[in-house]
Amino acid sequence: MTKIDWEKVTLRKFAELISGELKNNNINAVLVGGACVSIYSHNKYQSQDLDYISPDSTEKISEALKKIGFTKKGNFRHFTNEKCPFYIEFPPGPIAIGNEFPKKYNELASITLLTPTDCVKDRLAAFYHWNDEQSLEQAMLVARTQKVNLAAIKKWSENENNREKYNRFIYLLKKKK
Amino acid sequence: MLEAIFGSIIVERILLYLLVYKTGYIRGIAKLYGIPLSTLVNQLDRLENGGIIVSRPAGKIRIYSLNPRYPFIRELEALLQRAKDALQEDEQEKYYRMRTRPRRKGKV
Repeated sequence: MTKIDWEKVTLRKFAELISGELKNNNINAVLVGGACVSIYSHNKYQSQDLDYISPDSTEKISEALKKIGFTKKGNFRHFTNEKCPFYIEFPPGPIAIGNEFPKKYNELASITLLTPTDCVKDRLAAFYHWNDEQSLEQAMLVARTQKVNLAAIKKWSENENNREKYNRFIYLLKKKK
Repeated sequence: MLEAIFGSIIVERILLYLLVYKTGYIRGIAKLYGIPLSTLVNQLDRLENGGIIVSRPAGKIRIYSLNPRYPFIRELEALLQRAKDALQEDEQEKYYRMRTRPRRKGKV
């Protein structure tokens, strides 16, 4: 790998580098969470970390990331490099959005990530469960900048027993357009 | 009861506590069951690392709850509910019937 200026790297570039490095080490990992929002919204929302779901062992991941200067902190599957403003986390799997288990992902350069539609559902799940308005804003950012399947999001919301909050999402999405 | 599955009676109790009372903080859970704080914290950390519970700060304490986004939350809650229903009456009374309805400040 060529020398990276970790201090100046953008989140998108960072995700490409880390995803590429994981792939080079035969580690399966799907990017989820706020970094997907950053990528899809062209950085209108700026995440501070990359959240990957991976079935591979912590040891295997640690070994791969150590090669590029990222080391594990504490008991969590959480990796940092003192020169880099972003950090990397591996939350426990499986990949789930409410009661759904996505099977199809998007590929952007070396990054395997949630599709825009699943990214919106993922943010809405946090809004539905925790009433987190930031997550609602993030869902709207993605829905405005990417082509998403609103019918699928509506059906999923109904399965999650959150039709009312979905209606609020749609109302705000149309209002702010 | 579920100790063999969860690997620890403390984990079973933490999960039953959060099922019944919805939220809990370290000293409250430890006091109810008489569990040493350090042992409890280790198990809470383990459950949080596994995405089964979540926590948030509230003033100087940390409040824990079951993670509604845990992929198997419905199944886990169903299992815990079944286990709770199977508890002996004295255990139900001792651990799971604490007052949860509001009490106005100053009222004895």
